[in-house]
Amino acid sequence: MMAPMAVVEIKELHKRFGSVNAVKGLSFEVEAGRVTGFLGPNGAGKSTTLRALLGLVRPSEGTATFAGRLYHELERPSAEVGAVLEDASFHPGRTARNHLRVLAAAGEHPEGRVDEVLSTVGIADAADRRVKGYSMGMRQRLAIAAALLGDPEVLILDEPTNGLDPPGISWMRSLVRHQAANGRAVLVSSHLLAEVAQSVDDVVVISSGELRGQGTLEQVLGGDDGPATEVRVQDPDRLASALEGRGHGVERTGDDLLVLGATPEQVGAIAAEESVVVLGLKPRARSLEAAFLALTGDGA
Amino acid sequence: MSALLRAELLKLRTTRTFVALVAAALALSLLVVVLTTLIDDGFEKEEVRMLFTADFSSIFIPLLGVIGMAGEWRHRTITGTVLAAPDRLRLLSAKTLSYALAGVVLSIIVTVTIMAVGTIILSARGETTIGIGDLADQLWRNLVVSALLGALGVCIGGLVRNQVAAMVGVLVLSFVLEPAIIGLAPDVGRFGPTSGAPNGILGGEGFDGNDELLAPGIAVVVMSAWVGAFFAAAGALLQRRDLA
Repeated sequence: MMAPMAVVEIKELHKRFGSVNAVKGLSFEVEAGRVTGFLGPNGAGKSTTLRALLGLVRPSEGTATFAGRLYHELERPSAEVGAVLEDASFHPGRTARNHLRVLAAAGEHPEGRVDEVLSTVGIADAADRRVKGYSMGMRQRLAIAAALLGDPEVLILDEPTNGLDPPGISWMRSLVRHQAANGRAVLVSSHLLAEVAQSVDDVVVISSGELRGQGTLEQVLGGDDGPATEVRVQDPDRLASALEGRGHGVERTGDDLLVLGATPEQVGAIAAEESVVVLGLKPRARSLEAAFLALTGDGA
Repeated sequence: MSALLRAELLKLRTTRTFVALVAAALALSLLVVVLTTLIDDGFEKEEVRMLFTADFSSIFIPLLGVIGMAGEWRHRTITGTVLAAPDRLRLLSAKTLSYALAGVVLSIIVTVTIMAVGTIILSARGETTIGIGDLADQLWRNLVVSALLGALGVCIGGLVRNQVAAMVGVLVLSFVLEPAIIGLAPDVGRFGPTSGAPNGILGGEGFDGNDELLAPGIAVVVMSAWVGAFFAAAGALLQRRDLA
C-alpha cells in the first residue's frame, strides 16, 4: 500500500523577526483528501508558518513547499493553492464582483468562475455592492470565494471562522469537509479547538513556535496516557498503596484518588482484592479542550 | 505579464479614484485654458503652444500612481495581490506599466479637450491658432510626460508605504524641493524628475530662457533613468519585504 501523498511539507522551518523566534524548527505534512487542523494559542506562530508557506515571509531556515515546490515556483499559484489569511482585506470602494474579476484576470481564470464562487459562498445577491458596506462575515465569505476562484487542490485557511456567526461557522465546517471529500488538502488554522474539532481529520498543535503534537485528533488530544479513574474509598492509604504496587499512578486529594492508567473495572477489582470499601467510582473523561490546553501550555 | 497588466488596469477602472482624478485634471486644465483664451489678447504661436502644456494630468498622475501602489498597504490588499502574483518584480512591472498607460489615457483626454476648446475660442475671437502638426507635437510631449510621471508615482509608492506620506513627498518634491534647486542651481535643477526633465520634454520656457532646459530627447532619457532608478529601488525593497 502506497503512503498517502503529502501535498504540503514544512521542514525544519525557522522564522526570526529580529530577536523574536516566531517559528522554531517546525516540521509537519498535510495530505490530500484530509482536513488538517493547525492549532495553537494566539502568538504560537501559526500565521507566520502559513505566510512562509505562501511566500509572503522569507523563512530564516528550512522550507515550506507544495509537493516540493515553493509557492512562487508554482506555474499558476491561484489554480493550485487557495488561501484565506487572517487579515483578508479588500479595497473598500470596489464591489465583490469586481474584486473577484481582478483576481480572475490576474490568475487567468475564466470570468464565469466569479459568479460560481459568489454563489458557492452565498453572497451572489450582494455581489455588486461595495465591500465597505459588507459585514465581517460577508468579507470572510468573499475571502473564501477568492480562495476558491481557481478551483485549487490545496486550501490554506487562517482562522476562517473569525467574524462568522454560528450558522456561518457550521457552513464553514461543511465547506471544508466537502473540499476534502473531493480530494483536496485543507489546512485550517485556529486558536479555538472547539471550532475545528468537528471538521478535522488530523491536527498539528504548536505553541511558542514549536511542534507539540501531530497526528489524528485522537492520537494527539485523545489522551495517550490511557484511561483515568476517580475513586472514593474508606481507606485511601491502603488502596493507594495497592494501586501503586500494581504500577498505577495515583494522585490523592483528601479521600479521593485519581488513578492513572486504570479503568473503573480494574480499580474496583483491586479494591475488592484489598477489601477496601468503595464509596464512589467513575471514569474521568479528559476533555479535548483540557488536553489541548495541557499540550499548548495554556492550561497552566 | 499581460494577465497581470489586465488585472491592474481593471483595478484602476473599478474604483472611483481614476474617474475623480480625470474630472479634476480636466476641470482645472479647462479653467486655465478657457480663462486665458478669453481674457488675453494678441497671442503668438509659441504662446498658444505653451498654453496647451497646461495639462494638469502631470500633477494628478503621479499622485494616482502613489495611491495605486501605497494604497495596497493602506487597504492591506498587498497580501492578496502578491498571492495572485508571487513574482513581485513582475507585479511591480505590471503596475508601473498600467499607470504609465493610465497617464497616457488621462493626458489624451485632457490635452485633446483643452486643445479643442482653446482652438475654438481663439478662432472665434480671431486670435492666432496653431496647426495640426504643432498640436500633434505638443500632444506627444504631454503624453510622454504623463506616462513617465505615472510610472514614477508607482515606484515612489513602492518605496514609501504610507500613502499620505508618499503623496505629500511627491507634492513637496514637485512644488518645493525641485523649484528651490532650480532657483539655486538651474544646471542641476533641469535634471529633476518632476519639474526639470518634464519641462524639457514639454519644451516649455526655460528657467531663465530656453537654453537652460534639456533638449526633449535628452529629457526623455533623463526621466526614464529616474523611473528606472526608482523602479530598481522599489523592486529591491518589495522583494526583500516580509508581508507579515
